[in-house]
Amino acid sequence: MFGGLREKLRAARDRLGSGILATAGMPAGAKAEKVPGALSPGGAAKEQPPSPSSPAATEPAPTAGPRFVDKVRVLITEREQKDVADALSELEMTLLESDVALPATDAIIASVEKNLVGKHRKIGESVDALVLNALKAALLDVLGAGFDLREYIRKHERPVKILFTGVNGTGKTTTVAKIGDYLRKEGFTVVIGAGDTYRAGAIEQISVHAERLGIKVIQHKEGADPSAVLFDAVQFAQSHKIDVVLADTAGRFHNKANLMSQLEKIKRVMKPDLVVYVDEAVAGNDAVTRAAEFDRTVGADAVVLTKADMDSRGGAAISIAHTIGKPLMFLGTGQAYGDIVPFEPAQVVDELLEGGS
Amino acid sequence: MADKNIPMDQRELMTLQNYLQEYGQQAEIFVQQMQMLESGRLEAHAAIESLEDMLTAGDGTVLLQIGGGASVRAKVVEPEKVLLAIGAEVIVERSNKDAVEFLKERILEMEASQKKVAETLDRLRAQMNEINKRIEAGYQQAMASGQDLG
Repeated sequence: MFGGLREKLRAARDRLGSGILATAGMPAGAKAEKVPGALSPGGAAKEQPPSPSSPAATEPAPTAGPRFVDKVRVLITEREQKDVADALSELEMTLLESDVALPATDAIIASVEKNLVGKHRKIGESVDALVLNALKAALLDVLGAGFDLREYIRKHERPVKILFTGVNGTGKTTTVAKIGDYLRKEGFTVVIGAGDTYRAGAIEQISVHAERLGIKVIQHKEGADPSAVLFDAVQFAQSHKIDVVLADTAGRFHNKANLMSQLEKIKRVMKPDLVVYVDEAVAGNDAVTRAAEFDRTVGADAVVLTKADMDSRGGAAISIAHTIGKPLMFLGTGQAYGDIVPFEPAQVVDELLEGGS
Repeated sequence: MADKNIPMDQRELMTLQNYLQEYGQQAEIFVQQMQMLESGRLEAHAAIESLEDMLTAGDGTVLLQIGGGASVRAKVVEPEKVLLAIGAEVIVERSNKDAVEFLKERILEMEASQKKVAETLDRLRAQMNEINKRIEAGYQQAMASGQDLG
């Protein structure tokens, strides 16, 4: 998942680190030299204090007074914007090329810059750790807090009604089944409303899933009013004390006025507690744009991105929460029912910055 | 699933048909993705070829397709500078050489994605074959035991 972005972030991290080492006049060694076109130490060298490895720095203690201060200045260096400008610009390109939306890219760059420029590095703190922490903080800021569905259900009056919306062919029905399975395993009782009465075979599809998972499905005939189906699903849940209603709906594009007004009607009738927008991670920035449109027209409380295992760039996952201001709830990661993971920002950031190659 | 020697009932056959239909729909989506990736890859190759040719085109005259099979001769004012959509709806100016490098990287990315989608498609097809075999066997058993499959 997001392998391409992980590699690019690793390169950006090295480059930021080399910029800082070059400014500090540290013998960056192989690391700084490895990166082609890395910040030239030449410009900063004029103002640089003597290197700690220079012969002067190794003189005996009585004469080492001022030089010791210089030595400390090397280690606790104060960075200026120009020292990391090139590396930040490269990071910006890396993020944009990975389809991270412009507002999210700007926020990440601003945060990294804030955390690197003008800050002191303490003795013993490695440059790598400094850069890593700055990148981590920036990504965590942009990713938001995530959305713990279990916690939400526990704190809300039952049944919790969740309406799934989104465009065609992104895996909405399969996602409903996966979340049903996830919730059942977490100890909740679930009913599914087969609200996609439009697409041929959609009712059969959700019924097959539900049968495999042992989840009750409320369904009407193909072409029936989806509001009526989902109303019945809510009634069933209330009378059978079921914890969660998962309401599937037909895929639709946000620019189809009649289908969007049908969604409005569904909302009025079933009064969902949560409206979840489902799209595919591989759609990149398109997914972000569509999510924003859906949020504007019918509202969205959280987002699920499917096919994240196929997405090497990670652009949508990184930028969706920041761009539309709604948390990412789950990532779909494969074909099996268990292939859905709650989106935990800290874990994703760790995997991006520290995960295996 | 049913044991080989126990005849499959009609309900089980219907469930298998439903599975098959569902897998078929999923496979169709992946085939569409493969086609999109392939057309993106070919487009990138064509762009690389055009960018490289532009540098060697003498006075910089190229044929510009304007749709409907019509083309006009056009002169590229700055063949060294390319405006390139790098992602996230952002367009930047790059040198011809850098743009070619970028497109080559994109092609590699697309080829890696194609490989992944093809693997998933193969898995789906193998599962579909397996289900098909079961359905076939179910029908044969039912025919042999004189069940009505209407």
